[in-house]
Amino acid sequence: MDALLATLVSGLVLGSLYALMSSGLSLVWTTLGVFNFSHGALMMVGAFVAWTVSEILGLGPVTGILSGTLAAGLIGIIIERLLVRPFYSNRNMLLITAMTTLAAMVILERGAQMIWGARLKQLPRLIPGEVQILGTTISAHEALLIVLAPLILVALWRFTVMTNRGRSLRAVGQNQDSAALLGIDVPVAFALAFGISAALAGLTGALLGSIRFITPTMGSEPLTKAMIVVIFGGLGNLGATAGAAYLIGFIEAFLIFGLGLYWTPFVLFLLMILVLLFRPNGVFGGK
Amino acid sequence: MRRLLDIIGLQAGYGASRVLNDLSLHIDEGESIGLFGPNGHGKSTLLKAISGLLRPTAGSIAFDGKDITTQRPPSIVAAGLIHAPQGNTLFGNMRIAETLELAAFSKRAKAEAGRHLEEVYALFPRLAERKQQFARTLSGGERQMLSIGCALMCAPRLLMLDEPTLGLSPRLKEELAAAIAKISKTGVPLIVVEQDVEFLLSLTDRLYMIEHGEVVREISSANAPDHEEVMRLYFGAEGAH
Repeated sequence: MDALLATLVSGLVLGSLYALMSSGLSLVWTTLGVFNFSHGALMMVGAFVAWTVSEILGLGPVTGILSGTLAAGLIGIIIERLLVRPFYSNRNMLLITAMTTLAAMVILERGAQMIWGARLKQLPRLIPGEVQILGTTISAHEALLIVLAPLILVALWRFTVMTNRGRSLRAVGQNQDSAALLGIDVPVAFALAFGISAALAGLTGALLGSIRFITPTMGSEPLTKAMIVVIFGGLGNLGATAGAAYLIGFIEAFLIFGLGLYWTPFVLFLLMILVLLFRPNGVFGGK
Repeated sequence: MRRLLDIIGLQAGYGASRVLNDLSLHIDEGESIGLFGPNGHGKSTLLKAISGLLRPTAGSIAFDGKDITTQRPPSIVAAGLIHAPQGNTLFGNMRIAETLELAAFSKRAKAEAGRHLEEVYALFPRLAERKQQFARTLSGGERQMLSIGCALMCAPRLLMLDEPTLGLSPRLKEELAAAIAKISKTGVPLIVVEQDVEFLLSLTDRLYMIEHGEVVREISSANAPDHEEVMRLYFGAEGAH
């Protein structure tokens, strides 16, 4: 029983992490129709900037996390401007931007290696100490992640449903011409979606930086998982993406518990292939 | 007389194919105009060029005395020049109420969003009944109402409607025509593209016939041609019957 609960809690932590990562990916996909392969690298940049501001400049972890979030958001907007926007009117936009964002990933990872070196780094925990959830002890920092993820998701959901600025992102994703004729600036909406998505990645990285080690390639595994999540949930719906994130988190936790770390990725990818074969619009995807 | 819209020598097209050839027309302050003519001769392209979706290759467009030839849609909409395109599907996964609220996007429109929303629901009670319905579930007529409703939410100072009754049943067509007449009575100047010349004559002050991307004839509603002559305009000197 204890082991079961512990697995559940560990699934919750993973699910929170995947929800934050995949909601950003999903936002960019629904607005621009682009899959951003540099999403994981943006997460890594957030972690490194947070570490530099907090540990090297000595400004503390809160300022660090905010700086990391902001820096990733800015770099996201620059990536959109330089590597995505020139190809909007191109028929092969999806393929070209897959390559250009992959290039951005390599540039960011190599750049981080040159700036920060290969030595492992870690941020201090935002909240020291430990808490008990369902009879399982986890660090207070992980508990914060569990609480923060749904709050951020709800805020993002409210933004896209309740505010005109947020609605404009959905409108642009569904019909660019109709959106433009209502006075919505399409390129501004694209940049905003990319910026918010990248900032979310940066925030995730900064929070993860005190649980895992900060390395130039720390974003690649979360990006892979976020890809599985969006395929699982069906691209384009924030609620479905969030649901799938927690589902994958739980499945992964139970697989690690039952099968061990070695076979878990194998089974996860097998599941992804099955979903693509039988439910190509995702487990929660309609239509 | 002051001109609300003044188009001189406009040329535009898609890639290598030119659709508009040296097209000139104007709207005086306080009047509405209609555009008709065979399909594929540039009426929709003209509206796209005016609203900034398509950049003209030559010529000029002035709205309310200001040159807007090279402006992008956001600033053109902000100025109050609103275009409800043909077969506007809007946003399938958005509800009617939030689509209308979103349509009041510019600062000027937002200030009056509440009043405009009431007016739209009064004009189209069907939209009021279906507030929470997704746009993709609407019928052709309801979609057209939503499109016109959105245009009204933009606080138009000149409203361009591209075939607002295309493909609708006679009964629905009548309903929409009545609504458009009501909009016109509130003092919003219109540019209406339609195949139904009689409808245009009853609604607007002047008509332009557009063929091969040019204005080939201008008709004043005051001395309107009869049905026979309209048919001759469309089908050539041999007549239609």
